[in-house]
Amino acid sequence: MSQSENWVQQLPQNIIIGLEQGSVYSLIALGYTLVYGVLQLINFAHSEVFMAGGFGSYLVVNGIVGHRHMTGVMVPLTVLCGVLSGALTGAAIAWLLEKVAYKTLRRSGAPKLAFLISAIGASLFLSNLAGKLFNRLPNNAFPTYFDINHQLFKIGNAKVTLIEVIIVGSAVVMMIFLDRLVNRTKLGRGIRAVAEDAPTAALMGIDIDKTISRTFVIGGALAGAAGFMFGTAFGVSNLMGFTPGVKAFAAAVLGGIGNIRGAMIGGLILGQAEVLIAALPFVGAQWNDVISFVVLVLILLVRPTGILGERLGRAA
Amino acid sequence: MNTATRATLRRLAACLLGGFVLALMVGRQEGSLNDFGISFHQAVVGPRIFVFLLIGLVIFVMVTFWPRVVPYLTRPGVAPLGAGLLAVLAAQTVMNWYDPLVSSTGNGKFSGVRTAANASPNLSSVSVAFFGWLAWTLVIAALVACAAAIVTRVRVFGYVTAAIGIVGAVLAYVAHSAVVDLDGGIDHSLGVYADIVGFLLLACAGITAVHARAEVADTRGFLRKVMGYRPGLPIAALGVILGLLAFSTAGWFGALQINDTLAQAHSDFDGTGISSLALNYLGWLGWTLFGAAAVLSLAATYLRNRMLAWVSLILSVVGVVLTFLTLRSMTDIGAQVAPQFGGTWKNLGAGGFLACIVFSLFAAATAMVISSTSAGVRRNVRAKAPTDELPVTSMVKGFRRSSNAMPLLIIGGALALFYPPTLTLTWQNVLVGQIGVFVLLAVGLNVVVGWAGLLDLGYIAFYEIGSYTTAYLVGALPVKPPSWLQMSPLVSIPFAILACLIAGVLLGAPTLRLRGDYLAIVTLGFGEIIQILAVNNPGGFTGGPQGPTVPHPRIHLGGINITWGQDNLPYWYLLLIMLIVVIVLFYRLEGSRLGRAWAAIREDEVAAQASGVNTTRVKLLAFAIGASTSALAGSFFATQVGYFDPSLFTLQASILIVAYVVFGGMGSLQGAIAGAAVLTWLPQFLKAQVPQDDRQMWIGALVLAMMIFRPAGLLPAKRRKAELEGLDAAASSETAAVPRAGAM
Amino acid sequence: MRNRTLTTITVVLAAGALALSACSSSKKNTNGGGLGGGSSANNGGTNQTYKIGFVGALSGPNAQLGINERNGATLAIDQANASGKYKFKIALNAQDSEGDPAKAPAAATALISDPTVVAVIGPAFSGESKAVNPSFCQASPPMPTVTASASNAELQNQGNKCWHRIIPNDNVEGSQGADWLARTGAKKVYVLSDLSAYGAGVAGTMAKELKAKGVSVVSSGVDGTTTKNYNPIAGTIAASGTDALFYGGYDAQSALLAKALVAAGYKGRTVTGNGGKSSVFTTGAGKAGNGWYFTCGCQDATIAPTAKEFTAAYTAKFNTPPSTYSPEAFDAANLLMDAISKASASGTATRTSVLDALNKEDFTGITTQIKFQANGEVQSSSLIVNLFQEKSGAIKGLGNIKELN
Repeated sequence: MSQSENWVQQLPQNIIIGLEQGSVYSLIALGYTLVYGVLQLINFAHSEVFMAGGFGSYLVVNGIVGHRHMTGVMVPLTVLCGVLSGALTGAAIAWLLEKVAYKTLRRSGAPKLAFLISAIGASLFLSNLAGKLFNRLPNNAFPTYFDINHQLFKIGNAKVTLIEVIIVGSAVVMMIFLDRLVNRTKLGRGIRAVAEDAPTAALMGIDIDKTISRTFVIGGALAGAAGFMFGTAFGVSNLMGFTPGVKAFAAAVLGGIGNIRGAMIGGLILGQAEVLIAALPFVGAQWNDVISFVVLVLILLVRPTGILGERLGRAA
Repeated sequence: MNTATRATLRRLAACLLGGFVLALMVGRQEGSLNDFGISFHQAVVGPRIFVFLLIGLVIFVMVTFWPRVVPYLTRPGVAPLGAGLLAVLAAQTVMNWYDPLVSSTGNGKFSGVRTAANASPNLSSVSVAFFGWLAWTLVIAALVACAAAIVTRVRVFGYVTAAIGIVGAVLAYVAHSAVVDLDGGIDHSLGVYADIVGFLLLACAGITAVHARAEVADTRGFLRKVMGYRPGLPIAALGVILGLLAFSTAGWFGALQINDTLAQAHSDFDGTGISSLALNYLGWLGWTLFGAAAVLSLAATYLRNRMLAWVSLILSVVGVVLTFLTLRSMTDIGAQVAPQFGGTWKNLGAGGFLACIVFSLFAAATAMVISSTSAGVRRNVRAKAPTDELPVTSMVKGFRRSSNAMPLLIIGGALALFYPPTLTLTWQNVLVGQIGVFVLLAVGLNVVVGWAGLLDLGYIAFYEIGSYTTAYLVGALPVKPPSWLQMSPLVSIPFAILACLIAGVLLGAPTLRLRGDYLAIVTLGFGEIIQILAVNNPGGFTGGPQGPTVPHPRIHLGGINITWGQDNLPYWYLLLIMLIVVIVLFYRLEGSRLGRAWAAIREDEVAAQASGVNTTRVKLLAFAIGASTSALAGSFFATQVGYFDPSLFTLQASILIVAYVVFGGMGSLQGAIAGAAVLTWLPQFLKAQVPQDDRQMWIGALVLAMMIFRPAGLLPAKRRKAELEGLDAAASSETAAVPRAGAM
Repeated sequence: MRNRTLTTITVVLAAGALALSACSSSKKNTNGGGLGGGSSANNGGTNQTYKIGFVGALSGPNAQLGINERNGATLAIDQANASGKYKFKIALNAQDSEGDPAKAPAAATALISDPTVVAVIGPAFSGESKAVNPSFCQASPPMPTVTASASNAELQNQGNKCWHRIIPNDNVEGSQGADWLARTGAKKVYVLSDLSAYGAGVAGTMAKELKAKGVSVVSSGVDGTTTKNYNPIAGTIAASGTDALFYGGYDAQSALLAKALVAAGYKGRTVTGNGGKSSVFTTGAGKAGNGWYFTCGCQDATIAPTAKEFTAAYTAKFNTPPSTYSPEAFDAANLLMDAISKASASGTATRTSVLDALNKEDFTGITTQIKFQANGEVQSSSLIVNLFQEKSGAIKGLGNIKELN
């Protein structure tokens, strides 16, 4: 059996893995893109919001479940509890982050890069605080309250496990929810208005500060929920945010930063690209981290503002 | 509930939350696998949380009543009070007081000396009392008296403050020298001097508060007046004070538990076969030189006499040279007597280097006289040149012309030359391996980010390319260069620069049409790709995760033989040469046509293009110049540290360098230098202040706080500052220090 | 009236300066004793305190490994001080290097310039070892160092006379592991590294030795610091048709890999090195860790009673069971204290006398028998690589890997 046959044979399985990976990227990328939309800023501390969501839900789930093993209806309930606590922690940290690291700088009319540095400071602070409070292991396994690798069904020879269904399912639900929120509600209109033209939006009676703050909260909730799901699948650690954060940032740019649907698509594409290309026999997994950037650079050279272009925000 | 109450409540909540976060930051380390949140629980459950909430409450009270204090803040005396208090607090909480204690007990700070003093029966009681309770009592007394003086403006309070300040300064000096005399170790710590300056400032504050006629303090105007009264006089006066310290009390030679002052060194070295010049210097020549230079420079600055100034300048230079010859002779003898401890340039006290700094101060003072008396002549010449510059550009140039630049350069140069030898070995290492290298990197990145406005998040890649090029050319990589190409580390620097120039252009050419954040992510990707290339080791070129071992540099040129080894100081002087060359070049570049083109594309690329700037070429140049600076740094780093591996060149490092540039003040050369220096100094400094495991957390918190209170950076560029505040906004330092309400 | 203020202030400053110079009555140290809490004045006797230094990552991405070691050393020192076994007290001077070759020299010089430090545990990683070993050994007098974790196979050849290592290097572990795999019928082996200096080193040796024995090898790497999702690589491994996997990397990552391999349905044997053998692996991998093999140049903790005691004491002190390199650091600390006590038998121990004593040591630790060769490695007779296997959450020793079939 040659290696390229191997690749074809593994393709369905890898697509499913890539979908799982991409969903997580998408959820984080949405936070980047939302904030970029309203502030034209890269929120470098967003990855720590993701990490905080992981730890928050870990504490809650660990507190509730401990070493017990869940079955039946308790499993979805625990998952729901984890998603909610992750989202809550993420939202709370994002809200605080906005208040401390962004709002104060916005008031003093700081240059754009100053926000970058305050965010980096906050990021350094949060990840090391988590390391101090919990531990600095590269990963801590979530309590095994259910068998995350339990095989639900098979598509061809590809196994679909419980955790994959949970991650992809909740990601889809949250993305639909977000899309509705931004396109159909009053808050969403406010966000779009601020993204389009903040001074005019202010004249139209939109409270810019509140809108920005809420944007952070929404993005934080999504990232926090993603933190829970990522943690359940792969464990939590104080440095867990950095790499997914950078990749998600790349995904957001790939789709067209500031563009919500772009972030979703970008995340999914990067997830697939990483898994599928790394599985190619002549590439190998050690190039995993390069692939997303090569893909990104190639696409940006063809489409300088991403696949879908910037829509939420103004053209730079 | 009205808005005011709500704002107050919100502030209260913010302060309590701050206390809560502080509780998390201070406390035991880490949970465990079994009880993951144990440290989290212990941090916030139990009585200790109330202490932190109380701190929050205190801050809340202070913030709330701040508006009542504000009217007093413009009173005369507040600025010196603040500065003095800050100096004393810094001296008595975080600074080192006695170096040997650092290595023996890990705490050479004020508190450490207190513990040691309490356990020493032979120490004078004044000293024990000072370290025990007297110092803090004096500080509080001075603060209370000075506050009373500022508020009531009754003279007695002012005099009392002055008396307390002077007594404090004298006692600090006496107590410290008692400790040093008793123990006799080599001490280069600065805590006591900061304390003395602080106490004297407190004394000044008291006098100023009751004697100034004006209702509103004009600190800057006052300082300008002092400095402008007789150019150079304050510097010469400072030189005299420091010189008295250097020649009368400071240690000149220390080994085997002796710590000789100048006079003691004379008696100790008499008859050891030391050169007669050195012996005479220790005996009378040093004092004479110092006295003559002091009198001459004071006279020159007071009388503004150019001839005297030249004589004093020459005398000062002679002084530096003779001091050095003396130090050299002393260490040569020391090396003969105790070879296991001694060695050339080893075991020197701070005295000799302080003397060099003192002579440099005299030189700076007299240079000020020379430049101020000749400025009129030069101005006439320049007036003839056509001036078609923009107002902002000429403002930048105006700073350059100012007569302060020359003496500042001399003082800075003297510190760079003579201060490092008095540092502890660890600090010398940090100075070379961290501070110096990263200053070089930040200066290079400043071209790209600060001047041309291109956000480059993959800058470390060029550093990496520079390091690996050097490693390749010296034959440290698995793949050897052809034998005719193999060379010594220093020779490889131009090639490393060339390699990075090419890499910079290769990266820049296709990507520079991207704008803003798109460029950022592409450069980030580039950095990652280069790093992973080095790790994955395609073709066995880089050696993979286990990096190369690079030899230390050496020069064999005719009669010159210089070899660099484990000692850090020689690297420092090598690095200093590189830094000076780069900084001078960039300084010229900033005001050049290219520099103005960068400013133009940074502010508005379309407009710049419309007015004839070839944006692609200019951007490429920025990239290439930044990259080649990075190559220089990388090349130096590789040969200095002797070993490196790809784990050094991560994305985090790239981001950190951007942080240095922005933290220091984007777009200003001084800012980039200051930012890199402060942020690389901070981690090492924090080692002695907080648990080592928590350093990064505190760094993050400090960076965050700094950006909140000073968003434009430490030393913002004049041009940027103008953007933020308007060209003629004169921000007074007193009001800027007030935290904004609700800012938490 | 600015000028009056100016004059007044000048007078104040001048008064201060004069007072200072007047008080300059610096005299020779004639009082004999130094500062109470101060320098290592030779007061001899029972209150003598020596320090052992430690260089390793205490912050940054690899902090946990450094913290494990520091905890191990701290435990050994606290036990010795509490038991009163030695006539002197021992203290630890731990310096954070962040595991970074560029920052380690500052940490190392901090120890070299501390006169009370007579020996050093570390540097913890191979990279920083290459950067600072010369400064330790070329210092005057040289500082004896014992590393408990830097396993790079080039360190012993760098001619550093003060350097010692108490674990087998990558070559020993890799080659004996390869020998065992080939002997027990592996035909095709997947060798995966975590792209760290340790993982790449041990995986590289393993691949080379396996190839030399005619076993076909598939080599690959997955970055241990950035990768959390091991499902793709597990799929590739499962489809590769190999009958064994060797992973060169650390415990937490091995645990993730173990889970992913179970999910992917990999049937072959799974082997990792010393870096993976810890409770972090067993708790992290859960059931998926069942059956994993570990090659380790250390003794079996379930047989040696001292090791059991160590585990209990460590868990009690740090709330967490000992992890990678904790026992080795514990041994290193005990070894150094033993050397210091031998050196101080004839007067005050100095770096030179401790180095001499260390070179003559024959010490039984909880992980191995320690007797040094001239190049600083433990003598090959005592370099026994044991094989371990996880069985339902516990790591059991199977015996000397050379004698197993």
